[in-house]
Amino acid sequence: MVLSPDARWEMVDILATRTVTPGSYEPSLADVAGELTVRPLTGIPVALAALYAFWSIFTSFAGTLMTDGFMVKLFDGYWLPYLQSVWPDPGSWHYFIFVGNPLAESSLEAFGVLTSGFFVSIGVVLPAVLVFYLTMTLMEDSGYLPRLAVLMDTVLHRIGLHGYAIVPTILGLGCNVPAVTATRILETKKQRFIMMTLLALFIPCGAQLGIMMAVIPESVGVVFLCLLIGFGLFGFILSRLIPGENPEILVDVPAYHWPVPEYVAKKLWNRTKAFLKEAVPFVLVGILLVNLLYLGGVIQALADLLEPVFVVWFGVPKETAGPLIAAFLRKDLAIAQLSTIAMTPYQLIASVVLVTIYFPCVATFVVMLREGWRQLLASVAVLLAVVFVYGGMIHAIGILLGVA
Amino acid sequence: MKHTGTNRTIRPSSPLRGPGMVYSIYVALLGLVTLGFGCADILVWAGASDGFTWGILTITGDDFFRWAWGGVVMACGGVLLISGAAHAATSLHQAAKVAVGAILVWLIAGTDLLAMLCAAIPADASSPAFLNTPAGFFAGFAPPYTPAVLLLPFTVGLLLVFRGRVRRHET
Repeated sequence: MVLSPDARWEMVDILATRTVTPGSYEPSLADVAGELTVRPLTGIPVALAALYAFWSIFTSFAGTLMTDGFMVKLFDGYWLPYLQSVWPDPGSWHYFIFVGNPLAESSLEAFGVLTSGFFVSIGVVLPAVLVFYLTMTLMEDSGYLPRLAVLMDTVLHRIGLHGYAIVPTILGLGCNVPAVTATRILETKKQRFIMMTLLALFIPCGAQLGIMMAVIPESVGVVFLCLLIGFGLFGFILSRLIPGENPEILVDVPAYHWPVPEYVAKKLWNRTKAFLKEAVPFVLVGILLVNLLYLGGVIQALADLLEPVFVVWFGVPKETAGPLIAAFLRKDLAIAQLSTIAMTPYQLIASVVLVTIYFPCVATFVVMLREGWRQLLASVAVLLAVVFVYGGMIHAIGILLGVA
Repeated sequence: MKHTGTNRTIRPSSPLRGPGMVYSIYVALLGLVTLGFGCADILVWAGASDGFTWGILTITGDDFFRWAWGGVVMACGGVLLISGAAHAATSLHQAAKVAVGAILVWLIAGTDLLAMLCAAIPADASSPAFLNTPAGFFAGFAPPYTPAVLLLPFTVGLLLVFRGRVRRHET
């Protein structure tokens, strides 16, 4: 016998009437304040403030203190000059691969395995991921994340998802790999497909965010706006094109409480350890492969082949072909590479958006494959279409505004 | 999505008089000032002014994130303080609105102070040293301050009332 949702709720009511005896309850200030955080009128300002604090802590700690304050000085002042002085034969292939450009004055521009590779993974990504996971864990363990899910439910239902899609979305801002795994929290195949595709397309990971903050700090807001509009627009289209259900879910919202430091530390350690195990080797191997492709002339050949698409359709220089290929290995590296190409502010913003919405990095690709090859192929088809359409749209808007 | 919860009873509000009235006026004024500062943050960012420093107060408006987004949060905090001002000392629901409004101000002020701390710890980019000198570190906290930091002591005063409520609830 199949019961309709209404019949099920009636059964719940009957069972509750028979088994639950309501007692008197005196709510506390924290209870009522907690309830205000799930009501749209008061909850949306709180969500705006929480996300503001999230981003502000991220930029202050990872950007100002760790990367700009210590890591840039360490890598550009000591590590890069040391390698440039001791590594033999600046004109050789091994110098190009491991140290990079002999005239580079910063580790970000050198693009060698031992220079940019270590700077990006240790100097930029590690502090960014550490502080991201700390704030994420605090939100989770204090009980705010389930409230955010309740609050976002109405909005996310419009793009075929439900409130708990906020978990992989926020997780994706740290790393898309665990975020793709977290899409299992969603109930139907349709929801999982939409979430996975939107994650791969419009959610930049912590590594990308760290690099964006270092390379284009003044344009991060505009890039985010482009990604947010794309997330809503293509989510709305996908939810209408893809057949399937978008069911309601029942959520038990826990009371607010102080996070237990021991649990926070344990979660932080496990998440950061897992990220580092995957990220650092990928960064180093990524630079190695990209440098080999440059040496073999493959990147130049691809740049020539794809020139009409890049220059005419997307409005960016043909040199961005190299970073776009690097983006498949590591998107953070690709953004670092973009910073060394001479571009107008519009071209820089457009190419950073393109790198973000372009193919997911290879680690995310592998995890998506684990979720099913059919879903992966469908996601890739959607990705290609969206990159082409959205990239063209941004160029068209740029032309209309007179900036492209 | 349906979220489970318990029916909550809110205590009836008592008429405005005595210390309750003083408290309500204080919260309302604080809300008005917070709302004004929030609007000023947004207007300066939008180009109404090049930014200004007045005594120990500064609004530079140079960053979308801090001044536009942060300004919206400040303005929302001000609106919540104003809307919760009436009967804030006697009605649990109104007090909760004031608490949430104050928390919004604390979030902005807290992140502003963290930004000052993070900028004060490392030495200047031109210096070969990694850590700032003690004098340089403390100079990083010198005025002028953002509106949220200046409002912090005034909103912290509300904590005493909230603590009283929590204690009453526990007993």
